[in-house]
Amino acid sequence: MNIFSRIRRIPFWSWVWFILGALYFLLPLYATANFSLRMERDVIGFKAYVRAFEDPDFLKTFMYSNMLAFMTILASIILIVPTAYWIRLRLPEARRVVEFITLLPFVVPAIILVFGLIRIYSSPIKIPFTNTTLLQPLTTFEIGTDILIVAGYVVLGLPYMYRSVDTGMRTVDVRTLTEAAQSLGASWFTIIVKVILPNIRAALLSGALLTFAIVVGEVTLASFLGVPAFGPYLFLLGQHRAYEPAALSFASFLLTWLAMGLIQLFTGGQGQASGAH
Amino acid sequence: MAQTALKLKGSPPVSDWKKWLGVAPFFLFAILFLVLPSLRLIMGSFTNDEGQFTFANLLQLFQEQFILDAYWLSIRISAATAIGGGVFGFLLAYSVTVGGLPKPLRSALITFSGVASNFAGVPLAFSFIATLGRTGFVTALIKNIFGINLYQQTEFDLYSFWGLSLTYMYFQFPLMVLIMAPALDGLKREWREAAENLGASTTQYWLRVALPVLLPSILGSMILLFGNAFGAYATAYALTGGRLGIITIQIGAQIRGDVLHNPGLGYAMAMGMVIIMAVSLMGYSWLQKRSERWLR
Amino acid sequence: MTHLSLKNVSKHFGDFTAVNDFNLDVNKGEFVSFLGPSGCGKTTTLRMIAGFEIPSTGQITINGADITNKAPSQRNVGMVFQSYALFPNMTVAQNIGFGLRIRKEKEADVVDRVKEMLAIINLEKKADSYPYQLSGGQMQRVALARALAIRPEVLLLDEPLSALDAKIRIALRAEIRSIQQKLGITAIYVTHDQEEALSLSDRIVVMREGEMDQVGTPFQIYNFPTTVFVANFVGTLNNASAEVVDPAKGLIAIDGVQFESAVDLMERKKGDKVRVAIRPERFNFVSQEKKANIVDCRIENITFLGSIVRIQVMIGNSKFYMDTFNNPFLELPKIGDKDQVTCSREAVLVLDE
Repeated sequence: MNIFSRIRRIPFWSWVWFILGALYFLLPLYATANFSLRMERDVIGFKAYVRAFEDPDFLKTFMYSNMLAFMTILASIILIVPTAYWIRLRLPEARRVVEFITLLPFVVPAIILVFGLIRIYSSPIKIPFTNTTLLQPLTTFEIGTDILIVAGYVVLGLPYMYRSVDTGMRTVDVRTLTEAAQSLGASWFTIIVKVILPNIRAALLSGALLTFAIVVGEVTLASFLGVPAFGPYLFLLGQHRAYEPAALSFASFLLTWLAMGLIQLFTGGQGQASGAH
Repeated sequence: MAQTALKLKGSPPVSDWKKWLGVAPFFLFAILFLVLPSLRLIMGSFTNDEGQFTFANLLQLFQEQFILDAYWLSIRISAATAIGGGVFGFLLAYSVTVGGLPKPLRSALITFSGVASNFAGVPLAFSFIATLGRTGFVTALIKNIFGINLYQQTEFDLYSFWGLSLTYMYFQFPLMVLIMAPALDGLKREWREAAENLGASTTQYWLRVALPVLLPSILGSMILLFGNAFGAYATAYALTGGRLGIITIQIGAQIRGDVLHNPGLGYAMAMGMVIIMAVSLMGYSWLQKRSERWLR
Repeated sequence: MTHLSLKNVSKHFGDFTAVNDFNLDVNKGEFVSFLGPSGCGKTTTLRMIAGFEIPSTGQITINGADITNKAPSQRNVGMVFQSYALFPNMTVAQNIGFGLRIRKEKEADVVDRVKEMLAIINLEKKADSYPYQLSGGQMQRVALARALAIRPEVLLLDEPLSALDAKIRIALRAEIRSIQQKLGITAIYVTHDQEEALSLSDRIVVMREGEMDQVGTPFQIYNFPTTVFVANFVGTLNNASAEVVDPAKGLIAIDGVQFESAVDLMERKKGDKVRVAIRPERFNFVSQEKKANIVDCRIENITFLGSIVRIQVMIGNSKFYMDTFNNPFLELPKIGDKDQVTCSREAVLVLDE
């Protein structure tokens, strides 16, 4: 073997790019972690973490965001799974329209969405040209605002959730499964609950974890709609304190890592991205 | 293609319009929470203070300097991070696919990219402040190793155009990697071998075959990155506190309190954003179709 | 003068030997097939000629010049890939002209040469089409033209037809052969399809597990296989264990049933275990003709294959197939009948067990 084939073996530039990338990605993480451990002067300790987690507001907002995430996931599944299923089975004509709708959230980023949501739902909904009020402004009710933000999150997660569920259904060929179940005498309810849902579990989990990651850290919708969520709390914390926000930021990175790692586990390989906020 | 008529035992065949009932909840939801808000903005931009139809708001978009500046700034940041993120993200994806790095590194990069692309917003801003802020880790490192005080001796400022762009890269690089890695996988090994066999060097192969084939993918991804950065709000706000006047922050200010004293103008600004995003999306879709045809 | 020569070529991947001691001299204009099952090393050997693998030992020369370690782009051999590997971003004409433009030939010459190749493969009308607009067979012809356009020393084909439908395969392989003969270009053809190898080649190299089992003309390989593997791989073949009865007279016995063979048995002793192979078409009914060997048999099964009738008989305890041409007026025996079949001495091949 001559020397040229040996040199070809070592991909010099590949290593260069990779190492540069690793540096860029890891330095901020290191800086944050490092900073978060130095709350006590000259001591490396978890004081910042302890302080942060002990703050009653932390628990309150974190739990609230978790609840929002849970409601969003539930609402998404209830909305999307039957729709995707119906389109595969009976209404392929609707596919293009529905897929177009799932692309719209790209065109309407969070800040725009919240703008429109607020303007519409902070005034009473009337029947046009009359004085009859259908609904008082949602924003006057606390639960109204909750509904609004969950709906907003469902919209933001629509592209990923729908694509995930649709791909999962295509992979297991729900059409054939349904026909088999029907020929064995199952009702619609049984089919959806016992046949379809279990088989798209991986897709649902993956979509759910992604939704979770998006919702818990979300700031735009939460702060403009004035809900006590974790995102605005973290932002506010950053205005007053130094070490605790760093601690929570690093912790939130670990949490996101956990969620993504679980997704990898269930889907085996393809990463999922949700983009900027 | 004949459609299998699936029926519950005993139910009559489903007529045409009734089929659409199945997707009605979805459409209702979309209308209530996506279409209506968007329409509200569109209609609002054509309405003046007295509630009458007008083009004045749209015209004002092009007349107010600070609005034009805001759009221009957003476009510049989005373009910069799209190009920078696109190029370096491509190189990263290249390194772990065709570039021949060991497989475990590829898994690590893909997994990390999935995490990093979701790590935007407040935590990301704080991380970068801890890294390149005035008392940041790297700032101190540079002072200790090179003796250069970033904030005094150079024009660098984290809370500026370049600082924000650098921060945006944290989710732009991974997004590019996640899109380009499968695309690079789609480059058939035989293409390179055929090119070599016909006498081409590696450079000639890349210039004449690989890059042209990948170009729709690369451009499409960059457009996606552009849209991604253009619509971002939280990261910028958390980092610069609203000091950097990109269009999303201006709109945010408008939402909080009618700082423009002209609601219609605010709506027009929002609509301007939507139009720019829509054009990007169309460009992306078109390029997607082209690349699918070739990377079959 | 040998055009292409491989001497003691071997390829090891760690502990695994893909190719072991490959030796071959190919003459100019010769069409040689490498034939064998998956994993036998035929593609690896081809890739070593192309330069995509470097031999662990041995030497490859073209026209006397050593190319063993030369980069693939410097060898001037044209390769046709199994998956066509057409560049998707270029038209048919651009694909064909690719190698010439790399060599910086004058544009006018390139255009002429491309026209020439398009005429040879009969695809003038598709010059401006893109690969995704072509059928499999058309893509393969373009791949062939692209490899030939650069006027290569040797044409290498890596199972070029295996991805195509049967009918297209047969038509295309005839075209490949006729183009090769018209241009007088040396060709190495890798395939696992013995019918392809037999119908196309001047010579065949049968390979198994990295080794060359036999090299010869199609006629030789088919009629005079030297190993059990070759005999089995090429064409259908009856084979059974047998014992040498009398080396001097060429007698062997399958389960006690004696056959006389024309093969020289002088190297063997009485009682040696050997393997006997007889082609199904060499058998015939005694009622039709009488040859040197006449043996009793029982009819087990009769299968009508169209132009051929395949009859399964038991000779002793061994199952044999007999192929006879379909003759509407020939009365076939019934299943279970006892009958007699005959074959010549030359038909009885004796191979090592």
